[in-house]
Amino acid sequence: MPWKRQARETSSQTSAFEDLALPLLPSLYNVASWLSRNPVDAEDLVQETFLKALRGFATFESGTNFRAWMFRILRNTYLTSRTGLAARSTVALEDELADRNESGLALLPEGAIDRQTPEMSLINLGDRAALQAAMEKLPPPLLEVVLLCDVEELKYREIATVLDIPIGTVMSRIARARAALREELRASNKLSREYSA
Amino acid sequence: MSDHLSPALLNSLADGELTPDQRAAVDKHLAECRSCTSSALFQSLLKSATNKAGQRYNPPAQFLERLALRAGDEIAPSRSAQFRITPWSMRGLAFASFLVAFALLLVIGSMAFVQRSSYRAAIDSSRYAGLVTEACDQHIATLASNLPPQVISSDRHTVKPWFQGKLPFSFNLPENLPDDTKLEGANLTYLGSQPAALLLYSIGKHRVSIFVRQRTSTGIPDGFSREHDGFRVIGFSTGELEAVAVSDVDPIRLSALVGMIEQSQTRASQSTK
Repeated sequence: MPWKRQARETSSQTSAFEDLALPLLPSLYNVASWLSRNPVDAEDLVQETFLKALRGFATFESGTNFRAWMFRILRNTYLTSRTGLAARSTVALEDELADRNESGLALLPEGAIDRQTPEMSLINLGDRAALQAAMEKLPPPLLEVVLLCDVEELKYREIATVLDIPIGTVMSRIARARAALREELRASNKLSREYSA
Repeated sequence: MSDHLSPALLNSLADGELTPDQRAAVDKHLAECRSCTSSALFQSLLKSATNKAGQRYNPPAQFLERLALRAGDEIAPSRSAQFRITPWSMRGLAFASFLVAFALLLVIGSMAFVQRSSYRAAIDSSRYAGLVTEACDQHIATLASNLPPQVISSDRHTVKPWFQGKLPFSFNLPENLPDDTKLEGANLTYLGSQPAALLLYSIGKHRVSIFVRQRTSTGIPDGFSREHDGFRVIGFSTGELEAVAVSDVDPIRLSALVGMIEQSQTRASQSTK
């Protein structure tokens, strides 16, 4: 009977979606919280992401990267959310200029790696609160690339798919984000040393 | 590759994105260039520290239920739209409705109960993996920094009191140690955002880092042992404390040392009862 077959198919599809999507819930919620910086907005963002993914699951090609697909939906949902629109209207993506040479490497900041400074003695990487504060100061385009690369450990190719940008731009943003984090940590460490002195 | 490694190469190295040829060239350069080795280590530690700092938010306890309810509302109309009612199936409409309602109950029920347990298991597994990675990273960073411990002593009566006023808990150290094992000193550190004592031991020429902190809500399960990047990580929980040991020494010798430290905590808690 057609309705029986259809019910079976829908149920098995929902079950397959749950199997794939639910393990991603903590990661999606974490990234959503970082981006929206508000627990209520983060919850709405994740719920909307799940519902959009559930509706579009029939169009998902099995064998392709489900995790990247989910993060892409989350990111697109964020961009059209209230917080995402506000962030987009205030941030200029000047690094898009790097797309011209496709590699994105030409515009890496000079001194992105400061070889003359014994970094490890100046920066306390064990200070999680300082690092979180530094991450909070990153502009959204750099924060999202740090979250996808360092926290979610996506490959450059996957990040390029999620953000819909060339791999060269991914590399450029990662370099800029890490340079910004390092500078912020160095500054905060210097301040705390001066304060304690 | 006579010049220093470019920032792009150092980032790609930390991210595991180099091609085999690039990796071989970078490895060759790192073997000869101390400056780039230091930069590469820093990039790697920054990535690792960002990974841990970035895992900051957990979904609220009731979130999964709320999500399941919204998903249930979402599924219901779409399902009913999919069921095309043909004349021959009209007679089974009531039965079909019952089946749809039953299927929905199953979906929502399974999301709310069955997968909640798998979600919790995933959280625990992720927590232990994070703990192991952080402990190993700190062990490597301690070895790489080549700095002396904050308190240098092989005397437990010097090391333990050094933590007074620095940690919100106290712990015990064993008086007798296994052969060829020596207490080198200790550092004050943080593990998983919690203050911890980092006890530095040596077994022969192998270094051992043992982190002791207040017990977390879930603790560390009995017989906890993991392999991570060639290091053995062993942990235990007592009534109020938990500890994690990291080393590349023979696991049997590491277990012997950890066992003595665990026994000394147990004896201390028994003597206070």
